[in-house]
Amino acid sequence: MPETDDKSEDTATFECNICLDTAKNAVISMCGHLFCWPCLYQWLETRPQGQVCPVCKAGISRDKVIPLYGRGGSKTDPREKLPPRPQGHRTEPEADYAGPGGGHRYVFGDNPHFLSFGIGAFPFGFFASSFNLAGGAGNPMEHQHRDAAGPADHQMQDQLVSKLFLWLACIFLLWLLMA
Amino acid sequence: METNSSSGSLLNKRLQKELMSMQREPSPGVSINSHTLHGNSLSQWIIDMEGAEGTLYEGEKFQLLFKFSSKYPFDSPEVTFVGPNIPVNPHVYSNGHICLSILTEDWSPALSVQAVCLSIVSMLSSCKEKKRPPDNTLYVKTCSKNPKKTKWWYHDDSV
Ligand SMILES: [Zn+2]
Ligand SMILES: [Zn+2]
Repeated sequence: MPETDDKSEDTATFECNICLDTAKNAVISMCGHLFCWPCLYQWLETRPQGQVCPVCKAGISRDKVIPLYGRGGSKTDPREKLPPRPQGHRTEPEADYAGPGGGHRYVFGDNPHFLSFGIGAFPFGFFASSFNLAGGAGNPMEHQHRDAAGPADHQMQDQLVSKLFLWLACIFLLWLLMA
Repeated sequence: METNSSSGSLLNKRLQKELMSMQREPSPGVSINSHTLHGNSLSQWIIDMEGAEGTLYEGEKFQLLFKFSSKYPFDSPEVTFVGPNIPVNPHVYSNGHICLSILTEDWSPALSVQAVCLSIVSMLSSCKEKKRPPDNTLYVKTCSKNPKKTKWWYHDDSV
C-alpha cells in the first residue's frame, strides 16, 4: 500500500514523541521536540527531579516549552488547561497533588470541556449546584460519586426540593398577576 | 471507570502503534512471537531474537518477555530473557534479568519496544567473552522476581 505509506510518513513529523499520535495541544521544547502537552505534562510529573526531554535528554521544564497554535485552533495556551491525569496519581502516597484546601482534580474521560474546571473546591460546588438546577438525568458530576452509593440519592432529593420551590414561586407569581 | 479508560486508551493505542510499526518495519533479528497476538490484552509481549551474524551469539535464538504496567510509556516495561536459552553475557543473569540502564533509570517514554530490543541486540553484539556477571550466584538467589525492583549498579565497563 504505497499510498498509505506516503501518508504516514507525511504526518509522522507532527506526531507526539510520547503517544506516537498526531500531537494535540502541541508544545515544542527548546531542543525542537514535539509533544502533546498532556503527554509531556505527565512525563514531567513522573520525574519531578532532573526533568529531561524524552527524546534527546536536554533539560526541559514547563516554562521552557512553546505552545504551538495552528490555524483556526484554540488560542488558549495548552499549559493553562489541566491535562488528563491517570487515576494512579491520586492514590500515590506522596500527597502533593491535593492542594492546601483539599481541592480535588478529576478527569472526565474524553470530555475536555470539563478539564479546566476540575481544580479546587469552589468551581466544583458552583457547577454542581447549577447542574442540579438544570436537573439533567445524565449529570456529568455523578463521576464524582462513583464510589459512593449514598450521595446520588441526596442529589435527587435536592433536585426535588429545588423544583418544588421553583413551582411554588411560579404559582405565587401567577397569583400575584391574577390578583 | 472513566479515568481508567482514558489512561488505558493511551496505553493501548500506543502499544497498537508500536505493534503495527514493528510488523511493518521489522528490525533484523527481532520479531514478535505470534503468541503475543493471541488473546486481547497487549500487556505482555514475547519477542523472538536472533544473535547477530559475526558475533559470539550468531545462530543462537533467544526470547524476551515484555510486561507493560498501566503507566507505560511513562513507566519502563519489565524486560527479561525467558525460555530455554538465556544468553551467557556479563550483563545477563542466569534468571534472565538484564542489567541495562534504559530499563530503569534511563528509561524515556520516547523509547519503544523496538528501541529496547535494538539496545539488547547491540549489548549482546559487543560482547567479547561469554560469561555470567561476577555476582550472578548471589543475585539470582536473593533478587526480587521483578528486575525493576533491583537497585542496579550499572558497572560502566562499556559492556
Ligand atoms: Zn502525545
Ligand atoms: Zn529534545
